Amino acid sequence: MKRLSGKKGWAGEKIVKLVTPIDDAEIRKLKVGDRIEIEGVIYCGRDAVLPKLVAYLQRNEIQKLNVNLKGAVIFHTAVSIAGIGPTTSNKVEIEGSIPALSAGGVKVHLGKGALSQKTMEELQRYNSVFAITPPVTALFTDKIITKRVVAFKQEGMEALYEVRVKGLPAIIAIAHGKSIFGSGGEKGTKHVDKKTY
Amino acid sequence: MLTRKRIEDAAKSCVIAAGTTFRKDQNIAYRGAIEKEKNRNARWALEKIVENAKIAEEKGYPLCDDTGIPHVFVEVGDEVGLPKGWLTSIHTGVAQGLRLMPGRPMAVRGDAIERVEQSRGLFNDPGKVLPAPMIVKPVKGDKLKISVLLLGGGPEIRARTYRVFHRRSMETVLSEAASWVASEMNNLGCTPCVVAIGIGRTHMEASALMLEAMKEGNLTRQSEWEKKVTALVNATKVGPLGLGGGLTSLGTFIKIGPLRASGVRIVSVRPCCCFEPRRAAVVLRAE
Repeated sequence: MKRLSGKKGWAGEKIVKLVTPIDDAEIRKLKVGDRIEIEGVIYCGRDAVLPKLVAYLQRNEIQKLNVNLKGAVIFHTAVSIAGIGPTTSNKVEIEGSIPALSAGGVKVHLGKGALSQKTMEELQRYNSVFAITPPVTALFTDKIITKRVVAFKQEGMEALYEVRVKGLPAIIAIAHGKSIFGSGGEKGTKHVDKKTY
Repeated sequence: MLTRKRIEDAAKSCVIAAGTTFRKDQNIAYRGAIEKEKNRNARWALEKIVENAKIAEEKGYPLCDDTGIPHVFVEVGDEVGLPKGWLTSIHTGVAQGLRLMPGRPMAVRGDAIERVEQSRGLFNDPGKVLPAPMIVKPVKGDKLKISVLLLGGGPEIRARTYRVFHRRSMETVLSEAASWVASEMNNLGCTPCVVAIGIGRTHMEASALMLEAMKEGNLTRQSEWEKKVTALVNATKVGPLGLGGGLTSLGTFIKIGPLRASGVRIVSVRPCCCFEPRRAAVVLRAE
């Protein structure tokens, strides 16, 4: 991870550059509210394939998929000719996959929407984080270098894709037991004093 | 008389424009929101949405990868001459537009049960995403107006059509509708939303009126009632992308139809996402 002291976002904020694979030390430095830009190979999958990926992990057969989850970023999105964009991460199959995928080495889960207190605790347990990004497909299209299906091709746009990106923008929403989301949500997210970040 | 080709081309261009461009009122609303927003995270999300719209327009990319389900609203002038098969031409034009934009190939294959269970996979052709049943309305004059709206999946999860015991009070009806939307904001993800509301006599009619509200509403021309709903949703402080701040809703569009003698109103409410309503219209007149 590289902190780009000279690089500023639109709002004049510093941007943390994360290059995959990401190690534990890099994750420990991240704080809720950090702007990030992701570079390198990321995996893209959502409702249809994430539970399948978890099943492979649980059977200790992940190597059969030629997928390396150590230090990985998983973007909760379909991949189609229309582009990519985050789907809601608190859908059952997606949020339910986060603990096992974190245990399997995934460091950044990227999507949108609040997550439950239980998922926050699981992320903390495995030193993984949840980042969110707006559904800015046109902007993402400009950041994609290559894309290819790596598993579950029969799922079409919901297959597991490997996508090489440069400068994919996001913001850290949940890290180390803290959340960017306010209180009052149905998902029971923990309120965080916004003055702390 | 209009030709089938002109009708096809109009529907095609509507789909592409709706999926790739912001309207003037959306640009104005977002620019104003960024100036006012004090929460730095919320401002970041708003700036990304505006940057996205700029790239989408310049390069012709879809605004969102969920390019939505096409909904077509047709206003037919009493004096307009239409060719045989004109409704089919609209379907053909929509399919062409989806292929060119390109839309997301998300139509589900199979028979009724297989479609529900999504057990036979998806079509690769974005043109297979069929439009919802069309709404056709008679109007005066010699014009044919075709409007296409693209409705994304996230807001559909959060929308609701239900009854409200109105107690002869607009305040009661809208407060309840706003409370439905407010309760969903934390989970929508794609905020700021635009609240679309239809008030009618039946569930079908209320939904159609909600769609008409989406077709006609303007973020720079808000009624007092629309402002009240927006204020109630903004009081949630969910903010853009759930990041907090004062802007959870950019505005509200309300359409009220004919009503019946009853203590009940049927209300359809949809929290449209940060790019919606994605819509475009073309007016045709015989040459």
